[in-house]
Amino acid sequence: MFDAVMLFREALYGALVIAVACSVLGVYVVLRRIVFVGAALAQLSSAGIALAMFLSGAGVAAGLTGHPVAMALVVTLAGALFFGMEGGSRGPVPPDATIGVAYAVAAAVGILLIAKARTGEAHDIFLQGNILSITLKDTLVLLAVSVPVLLVHLLFYKEFLFVSFDRETARTLGYRVGGWNLLLYLTLGLVIAFAMQFAGVMLVFNFLVLPAVTGLLLARGMAGVFFWSVTSAVVAAVIGFVLSVPFDLPTGPAIIVVSGVLALLAWGVRRLRG
Amino acid sequence: MSGLVTFSGVTLGYGRRTVLSGLTFAVSEGDFLGLVGPNGAGKTTVLRAILGSLAPLEGTVARAPGLRFGYVPQRDQVDYNFPLKVLDVVLMGRYDRIGLARRPGKDDRDRAMAALEHVGIPELAGRQLKDLSGGQKQRTLIARALVGEPNVLVLDEPTNGMDLVSTTQILGLVRELHERDRLTVIMVSHALNEVANYVERIALVVGGGFRIGSVDEIMTETVLSEMYGIPVEVDSFNGHRIVLARRFGAGEEAGRV
Repeated sequence: MFDAVMLFREALYGALVIAVACSVLGVYVVLRRIVFVGAALAQLSSAGIALAMFLSGAGVAAGLTGHPVAMALVVTLAGALFFGMEGGSRGPVPPDATIGVAYAVAAAVGILLIAKARTGEAHDIFLQGNILSITLKDTLVLLAVSVPVLLVHLLFYKEFLFVSFDRETARTLGYRVGGWNLLLYLTLGLVIAFAMQFAGVMLVFNFLVLPAVTGLLLARGMAGVFFWSVTSAVVAAVIGFVLSVPFDLPTGPAIIVVSGVLALLAWGVRRLRG
Repeated sequence: MSGLVTFSGVTLGYGRRTVLSGLTFAVSEGDFLGLVGPNGAGKTTVLRAILGSLAPLEGTVARAPGLRFGYVPQRDQVDYNFPLKVLDVVLMGRYDRIGLARRPGKDDRDRAMAALEHVGIPELAGRQLKDLSGGQKQRTLIARALVGEPNVLVLDEPTNGMDLVSTTQILGLVRELHERDRLTVIMVSHALNEVANYVERIALVVGGGFRIGSVDEIMTETVLSEMYGIPVEVDSFNGHRIVLARRFGAGEEAGRV
């Protein structure tokens, strides 16, 4: 079993980077009640990949337009910019409905583009991802994106916390709440755009939500929430690999099920504590 | 008494929609002002203009140099899902003084503890904010506003949703802060009866109208009946003013005194 896992150790390293980055940002995603922004951004990222594949297959790609990572980045960051600037929240349509529209349309457009792309793979790759395909080079790229993002979050922890917890008071103390929100969403978009290339919508969404929920159930302070969120994401990724590789199970869903079990255990611990 | 915030011929609104116009008044040092009116009348609009987060459509709002507000938001504006201890919440009041990307130090923590002692809840420093009662939460938010050493304490509906005991205690605490520390206080509330017995001046915002004056000037049957558009009685009981909407008898209409 160990040998089989070691065969895919490079993929495991990449999965761990994704797990750590997403589970840190996921704490804000869950606490700010923007879990579906995470899902919509992941779906927009997949639409960006599909667009690149379609343009490349049609022979009309120029410059970066045929590059999946570049297009995923452009489309996801545009979405992050839109949601970060509270786009769609000022009109008569409720903000969560705008997020729903973005999610549904991005998913459908992605599938349609892949259906007509000559170089495309089956569309379920976007949903499930192909985490076992991560190479050492991919892991280094993921690190190059994740480390600066995590440093920004470490450095500006108190600013992100304040504008997330009580934006009105932060504003009266001179904080540019809109700017901080935008930075938070852009870091989120950046991580999602790169993580999506390998992990797929389902697994990225999982890493953004379930570990943070586990953290909130177990911890009594913010530091504890981050600790348990990251720990449970790493544990889920490792156990998911250990179970999926030898038993020939899809790795992404295996990780998600383990994340769910960990969240359930955390809920049990919480209940026992009273 | 010098003007900390001065409104001169101010019109307030959003986009093309005017909410209030012709506002000329000043909040002076040592003032204890109640900004009172029904929900949706424009209290928050005036408050935002005072705080500087809403620019006037016309006129000017001048603030004294170096003016610093200690803002106490409505309790439901704060997200209690965040697993934050009381001391952590109070420390937020010093975040801008601590500076960008820097962590609170021992001095900040000492000041936060002193602020908690000031509002009478030092023993709650290590407790989770979400586990506190409404009154304790409000004291925590007041401590957070005080720890930043403000010139003006601004409270937005501080007693909203509280029971009689907590309401009395919180209003008593605010009055004590005003009298003991000579702190300038602006208190926003929809409850005229609560506020009128604690503040020194009242700014009444009702149905697009605005009137400001001492409690004695505003708390008259003539002024209140005119502002609210219904017959109003002002009685006194043990030194407390009580405002009552006059009951209509058969055949009487609203607005008839």
